[in-house]
Amino acid sequence: MERVHAIGARKFASLRRDKQMFGFIVLMPAIQIILFGIAIGQTPYDLDFGVIDESDGALQGVETGLAASHALIIHEYDTVADARADIEEGALWGALLLTEEGQLELHLDNSNQQVSNTILIEVRNAMEAALAEQGASLPMEIADPVFGERDPSFIDFLAPGIITLVCFMFSTILTTIAFVGERYDGTLDRVFAAGTKPSEVLLGHMGAFSTILVGQVLVVIGIAVFAFDTPVNGNPILLFLLALMLGWAAMCLGLLISSKAKSEFQGVQLNMPILFTVLLLSGILWPVEALPEWIQPVSYALPTTWTAEAFRSIMIRGWGLESTVVLTAFVFDAVFAVVMLGIASRTLRVQE
Amino acid sequence: MAAAIVVDGLYRGYGSGRSRVDVLQSLGMSVEEGTIYGLLGPSGCGKTTLLKVVLGRLVPEAGDVDVLGSRPGETGSAVPGSAVGYSPQEIALYEDLSIAETFLFHGRLHGMSRDRISARQDWLIGFLDLPDPGWQVGKLSGGQKRRVSLAVALLHEPQLLLLDEPTVGVDPELRARIWDHLREIADGGTTVVLTTHYIDEAGQADRVGLMRNGGLLAEDAPGSLMEPHGHSSLEQTFLMLCRRDGGAAA
Repeated sequence: MERVHAIGARKFASLRRDKQMFGFIVLMPAIQIILFGIAIGQTPYDLDFGVIDESDGALQGVETGLAASHALIIHEYDTVADARADIEEGALWGALLLTEEGQLELHLDNSNQQVSNTILIEVRNAMEAALAEQGASLPMEIADPVFGERDPSFIDFLAPGIITLVCFMFSTILTTIAFVGERYDGTLDRVFAAGTKPSEVLLGHMGAFSTILVGQVLVVIGIAVFAFDTPVNGNPILLFLLALMLGWAAMCLGLLISSKAKSEFQGVQLNMPILFTVLLLSGILWPVEALPEWIQPVSYALPTTWTAEAFRSIMIRGWGLESTVVLTAFVFDAVFAVVMLGIASRTLRVQE
Repeated sequence: MAAAIVVDGLYRGYGSGRSRVDVLQSLGMSVEEGTIYGLLGPSGCGKTTLLKVVLGRLVPEAGDVDVLGSRPGETGSAVPGSAVGYSPQEIALYEDLSIAETFLFHGRLHGMSRDRISARQDWLIGFLDLPDPGWQVGKLSGGQKRRVSLAVALLHEPQLLLLDEPTVGVDPELRARIWDHLREIADGGTTVVLTTHYIDEAGQADRVGLMRNGGLLAEDAPGSLMEPHGHSSLEQTFLMLCRRDGGAAA
């Protein structure tokens, strides 16, 4: 244990002294999460939208409602043909015809799904408001949701996944180059010459990086929750612990890469496919429920898939450890970490 | 006297298929306890490879290796471990640690107490003319780094020293002092194996091994090698032996 401690202390000292690397480690995740909060998931606004009123004012309420919307800039047109011509030119995202019979006919440029969804929501809201004014209502009423907001924003779905991604990626990248250089410059030779076991080297490094991991997770979750008001309906400490757990899983994967990579550059390169796999298959950008059957096993082999789902459960549903989803995430991440570490300690050999 | 190291029929190379390089071929070597053994040879002849096999860092592909009574790397073997002190050919130090931190780190690896590390540090700094222990290794000159590297091997006073080119870039006065010290600890029972390409310096060893083409061309006390031919320098003997062996090395 003394050796593990010595190795950890030394690695930590090295990390602290590398000001550039330190800045990178602490700042990059923070910048990522800030950019995400600013840029992603807000509702599109100032969308050019056309209105053609052939209802002689009968559906005035709808038009007023639309004009009051922050998302749309209303342009009045005389005919549908004129409006469609402008849509075809890209000057309008869509247009709404208010017919003589009191119907609504919606024409859309569907090239941007998010924009179209926003328009649909605005039109629906305007319709409901107009009907309510007249004392009537749509045949369908949307009750207060069990979990989440009435008009769920994309960012609420995305945030837990992005937190997962940022925590995972930065931990892996961090440890990937942990001791690639040391395998080649003779310093690891010396450490082994003293009788140190590979497991001691790995545990020592894990200890050093864990201190940084705690800081990273605090920064990422802190910014997401306090700067961007990401909802955390469940226990924030549970969230923090699960993020740590995922971070450890990521670290062990990084250490495994560090044991195998032939150069620091190659180690960093290997992170690319991992990033893409995690980004695309963990249900971060797109629900796992939509994945084709044949690729689902890959998705379920990733700790990020289980953790992202658990994050959503903790943050949006407010669930805790009593739920299978959350418990499974902890267990899966722990097992993943142990397995990766086990493979790493066989790859990093004293005798080559 | 007991044998500290016995190597017999050792084969070791790198790579496979088309990128295969045979380095050590049917190499035999023996080093007695409490002696200084000089391993001589040109760069690339396998001195470092041999040292790493003895250290337990490389596995023999064939042949027997016995170090301090057992095969390196086997359970219960003293090697690798605190019985060995190793100074690699590359400086192999952490550039961002200070000299003191370097000693502390390696001392802890060997289970030394802080007091003992401190005492050894004081002595080594005096003996090897090392600068202020608060200085960062990365800021030292090449020669100073090499001396720190040697100091690390000597730190825990091991039974067996494996030193790869320990005196490169060291001024002659200090070189002489290092050899004096090695002689002193050898007399006290420590076994020293060092590689060097300063052929004449190796004349101070108890035995020298002349490495060429993957094996030892000759292995004996320097005097015994030079005398029969009336040579006054080991360099002459080595040159003659190389010529006899067949001109250019493989």
